Amino acid sequence: MAEQAAGGAPARGAQPAVVVIGVGNALRQDDGAGLEVARRLRGRADAAETGVGAALAMPAELAVLEYEGEPLGLLELWEGARGAVLVDAIRSGAAPGTIHRVDASREPIPAPLRGSSSTHAVGVGDAIELARALGRLPARVVVYGVEGACFDAGSGLSGEVEGVVDSLAEAVLREARELAVVSR
Amino acid sequence: MSDGGEARRTRVIRTDYLARVEGEGAMYVRLDGREVAEVKLRIYEPPRFFEALLRGRAFTEAPDITARICGICPVAYQMSAVRAMEDACGVAIDAGPLRDLRRLLYCGEWIESHSLHVYMLHAPDFLGYAGAVEMARDHREIVEQGLRMKKAGNALMALVGGREVHPINVRVGGFYRAPTRAELRTLVDPLERARETALATVRWAATLEFPEVRRAPELLALSEPGLYPIDLGRIVSDRGLDIAPAEFDAHVVEEHVEHSNALHARIRERGTYLTGPLARYALASAQLRPLAREAAREAGLGPVCDNPFQSIVVRAVELVQACDEALALIDGYVEPDAPAVDVIPRRGVGHGATEAPRGLLYHRYEIDDEGTILDARIVPPTSQNQLAIEEDLRAVVEASVDLPDEQLSLRCEQTIRNHDPCISCATHFLKLTVDRG
Repeated sequence: MAEQAAGGAPARGAQPAVVVIGVGNALRQDDGAGLEVARRLRGRADAAETGVGAALAMPAELAVLEYEGEPLGLLELWEGARGAVLVDAIRSGAAPGTIHRVDASREPIPAPLRGSSSTHAVGVGDAIELARALGRLPARVVVYGVEGACFDAGSGLSGEVEGVVDSLAEAVLREARELAVVSR
Repeated sequence: MSDGGEARRTRVIRTDYLARVEGEGAMYVRLDGREVAEVKLRIYEPPRFFEALLRGRAFTEAPDITARICGICPVAYQMSAVRAMEDACGVAIDAGPLRDLRRLLYCGEWIESHSLHVYMLHAPDFLGYAGAVEMARDHREIVEQGLRMKKAGNALMALVGGREVHPINVRVGGFYRAPTRAELRTLVDPLERARETALATVRWAATLEFPEVRRAPELLALSEPGLYPIDLGRIVSDRGLDIAPAEFDAHVVEEHVEHSNALHARIRERGTYLTGPLARYALASAQLRPLAREAAREAGLGPVCDNPFQSIVVRAVELVQACDEALALIDGYVEPDAPAVDVIPRRGVGHGATEAPRGLLYHRYEIDDEGTILDARIVPPTSQNQLAIEEDLRAVVEASVDLPDEQLSLRCEQTIRNHDPCISCATHFLKLTVDRG
């Protein structure tokens, strides 16, 4: 279990301009993809701090969080941020490893991606739409989804998803940087 | 949502949006004429993966590992795990500040989980919305209330548990760090507001319209003199069962059923039983704190609530209970001398049972002298309630047989939701639902 895994809301007043939130469950195979992306971005930030990877440094106005909780908790995680990039696993019937991007600030989460895999949780898409209805969505929200192959109990990602995690992390970081610049 | 089948007299009601895996029916009801011929639910995947994962791990790892079984009730898993491990090692934390802290943390989880269920999942059923999002457009204040209350629960879990999701401060023997009195005082304001909201929630829930359904499964809950059941106690039922958690295995059998991965639990030689808010309330309403008892009385609840649709009122009463008890625990809190007691492993078997928001959660572990886990068994509330939910479905469908398919299907979903089941709760990937036209 990653020591730095942030489950809780950051302290008020310290909220950076843009939060990158990897969502998922590490013990549900590909459902852990979002967490893995966040972990790799964090790894880069740590390397940058020690001078090893200065070129990979993330702007100070970015925070990267891993979130394994119930999706409505997202409303607290992004509270006060002007932008958010969410990364989650997705199951739409596309080829495993396919990367989807939805600009939630420009369009509603498509109906097929709403709803939940559980009767006692509101889904990630629903959490975004609920926040929108309540005026609690950051000005810019972009969702990245990677099509998963397997969501059964177990650890580790499928080969198809593992193969795209680095390029997904790249895309997420680029997006987050742009949002940070725009929101300055 | 439904297909008529070839035979004119056969109706099939099914829904698969509850399902974890696309295309697998979560609920299947077949009617022959007005008779319910078949009810099948596929609602829960038992934590067998976790039981296997636990074997060979250290006894101290069980609370952290099992916390990951559920994103909504990690504290329940931790609490049943620590109770079982302490039991195996001959330690009992049945009183004092460490027990109080555990109960306090557990109150946070009840507040968080019940707020989510009452406001975001159950309320839309009664107000006629497809979900919380649609409801929020017309009833913004109701949703905001629910979110505020949930946040108070989260704050409590974050402070005592170390983090609201998968709390990391819990350990076998107690906590890694005990909060100070001053820290706990910061929770008083939000909890007092949450308590007010909870009281309003009971009054509001009591005004909802409920289908006329009466159910009488055997009801099972923890029991401890003078306290509403949460974190420890004997296991009792309204039909005379009264056993220690160590006897659970001897009295409850789990059976494989063909249509579901889940094991269905039954009380040996008796059958179906129900755990959760309705059972706790029926068996322990006299132990509610006066404020919660009074709220229940004003809402018109008798000593037993036998209409599962009214479980929303009972959950609201438990919200009052959890807020009020949390405030009392904070008020009376004495910082412990040490955040944990020593627990020295020894060969043996330990049992732990606690009340997750949705019902009794039982853990049993066998460990060796070094504390290595040799065997683990976890019986979550949903696999215990599955038969009772199927029987509810059968009764509800028989009573609602004249409803058109779509309404009948919705009524069935509500019937399942009444018991807040854990439906493969640990995944939350975005899911594409296919419209079958």
